[in-house]
Amino acid sequence: MAKEAEYAIEVEKLTKRYGDLLAVDNISFNVRKGEVFALLGPNGAGKTTTVEIIDTIRTPTSGKASILGMDVTKRKHEIVPRIGVLPQGFSSFDRITVRETIQYFSRLFCCRKTDVDGLIELVNLKDKAQEQYKNLSGGLMQRLGIAIALVNDPEVVFLDEPSTGLDPRARREVWKLLLGLKEKGKTVFLTTHYMEEAEFLADTVAIISKGKIIAMGSPEALIESNANYLVLTLKPVDEKAIEIVRKMGFEPVRDNHRDIKVRVEHMDDVQKILDTIKDAGASLLSLDVRKPNLEEVFLKLTGQALHKDTAGRVAE
Amino acid sequence: MNPRIIVANLVVSIKSFYRTKSTMFFMIAFPIILILVFGALFMKQDNMSFDLCVQDLDHTDSSAQLVKTLELDGKFNVIKIDPAMNATQYTKDNKLNLVLMIPKGYEGSFLRRTALHDTNASVTLTYLYDPSSIFVSMKMQILNSVFAGINQKMSGKPPFIWSAETSILAKKYRFIDFFVPGIIAMSVMTLSLFGTVNLNTELRQKGVIRKLSTTPITRTDWILSNILYQFILAVISTMAMLLVSYAVFRINLYINAWLLVFIVLDVFAFVGIGMILTRFVKEAESAAAAANAITFPMMFLSGSFFPLEMMPGFMQTVARILPLYYVNEGLRASMVFNDHMAALRYSAIIGVFAAVVFILGIIATNWEEGQ
Repeated sequence: MAKEAEYAIEVEKLTKRYGDLLAVDNISFNVRKGEVFALLGPNGAGKTTTVEIIDTIRTPTSGKASILGMDVTKRKHEIVPRIGVLPQGFSSFDRITVRETIQYFSRLFCCRKTDVDGLIELVNLKDKAQEQYKNLSGGLMQRLGIAIALVNDPEVVFLDEPSTGLDPRARREVWKLLLGLKEKGKTVFLTTHYMEEAEFLADTVAIISKGKIIAMGSPEALIESNANYLVLTLKPVDEKAIEIVRKMGFEPVRDNHRDIKVRVEHMDDVQKILDTIKDAGASLLSLDVRKPNLEEVFLKLTGQALHKDTAGRVAE
Repeated sequence: MNPRIIVANLVVSIKSFYRTKSTMFFMIAFPIILILVFGALFMKQDNMSFDLCVQDLDHTDSSAQLVKTLELDGKFNVIKIDPAMNATQYTKDNKLNLVLMIPKGYEGSFLRRTALHDTNASVTLTYLYDPSSIFVSMKMQILNSVFAGINQKMSGKPPFIWSAETSILAKKYRFIDFFVPGIIAMSVMTLSLFGTVNLNTELRQKGVIRKLSTTPITRTDWILSNILYQFILAVISTMAMLLVSYAVFRINLYINAWLLVFIVLDVFAFVGIGMILTRFVKEAESAAAAANAITFPMMFLSGSFFPLEMMPGFMQTVARILPLYYVNEGLRASMVFNDHMAALRYSAIIGVFAAVVFILGIIATNWEEGQ
């Protein structure tokens, strides 16, 4: 019973197979009550299948998942009123207004006490309350989806890629909302392929690749244990700098913005590189030194980039 | 089953429908247009008369008397063709399907038979006809019966067999009175089947069904709310059809509780079929084709438009295994013949069918994807 009090979600040897495709491969993890848990991975890694098994949309091929101590395959009717779900690519009835949509889902849960106005305000849709769903922008639709996931005041909230397809501003607004949920003590299970999202919001991050969880822990711990180095980013004036760095024995990588990224062990190496570039008469427009992020952790663990657009390419 | 959930669903469906003006218009307008078009055709059939072209090559008082007899029969509007014309060419040029040719010498033969009692005297009238016309054989049969009457009269003996007509119905009915119940049955079927298949495939494609599967709504709640919604639409559509039929054609039908019973059973049966179909058809585009594949044969084979007697024997057997046949016959039994026992019999058959497909519909409804 003590275990039930500690964990909101328990997953044990969970497997899902679609014919020959092994979408989820024998994964196990627990989610503590009140924490934000992020399942991070690229598209097709098995995030949605995993979350949809846990939130009762799909059934597993084998293994076990339970929410609040209840088996998801056996006690769906007891689980559903206690969870809120924003499925991937959430959509609703085109010609129903924001207010009516929230009222409708509230009635499905038979919640007489749902504070519809409060939810509308929480997701910042007061001005759009009378707008039909089909007229909302992608960001507003996602916000409505989050409001709907909260109509039954759930103990556990599942959000499958809540900010995918949103512009940076809309994404920030969704993050603010999710932080609000955390403050209210809700357990939040999040799937995302945005490492900044996981890093910004999550207490625990599980990195999933090809159906397997390859690392799990707090973002800081993951970075500490998997990427104990610094990332030096240089914006050079000309092509000379990259050759100079390579000759020093480092492995510079050019990113999509034509910046040079260099992985260094210590701050002394940064100083050494800068001095060498200066002595060689090469110029820099800017430089930046930072700790690595989850993107680099993912790259180290899988040898693949999380996003194509942030993937670096080794300079010739 | 949760009535609160069913009502919530129903409210959303009705609001969505009300806010889609074009759907609302076509749902009501389509069966009304059918009734107006077919009603106008059948009105004509009740007092049907045909155009008949006659080329009188004899051009005598006797031949003129024959033409007048045809006119007086009331079945033909006689159009006379100039005897100098080439009748075959004229028929082709004017796209006629039948020309009756009275030969030269008609009066001579007629007088020999009537005045001189020469039984060997006879005349051959020629039917110049287009065999591709669907009405031509009917015209020729009527002509034959008119000529048989003349022949019989000329024999000077009274007929041995007479016929008397006694209607089995207390009131006088026209074809439109039989047609309207068939159109009601057909429209309710189309509404229920298309409505269910379109709505469910669209919501599934958009991911709304996936969201609903994470709420307490059950498959039974969902199907029952679909049925209730389609029933409301069916009642609105039926009322509109009856009002137009009364106003335009002064139809003469019994309206009683059986009408509602058959609408409910019709809706149950075809929403159930729609739910089963939705399980197998994944995209909204193919859903419409699949629904058409079911409704089209059904509306033509089960006697909605045409009486079953017009069909070959094996097709009549096929008709009797179609659910719409029992709705058609049940509605006609109650609305036309006021025959409650027959209506009860038909309602029992379609009721059992509706219960079976409703249960199969619930079993077939699967909200889990990618299994």
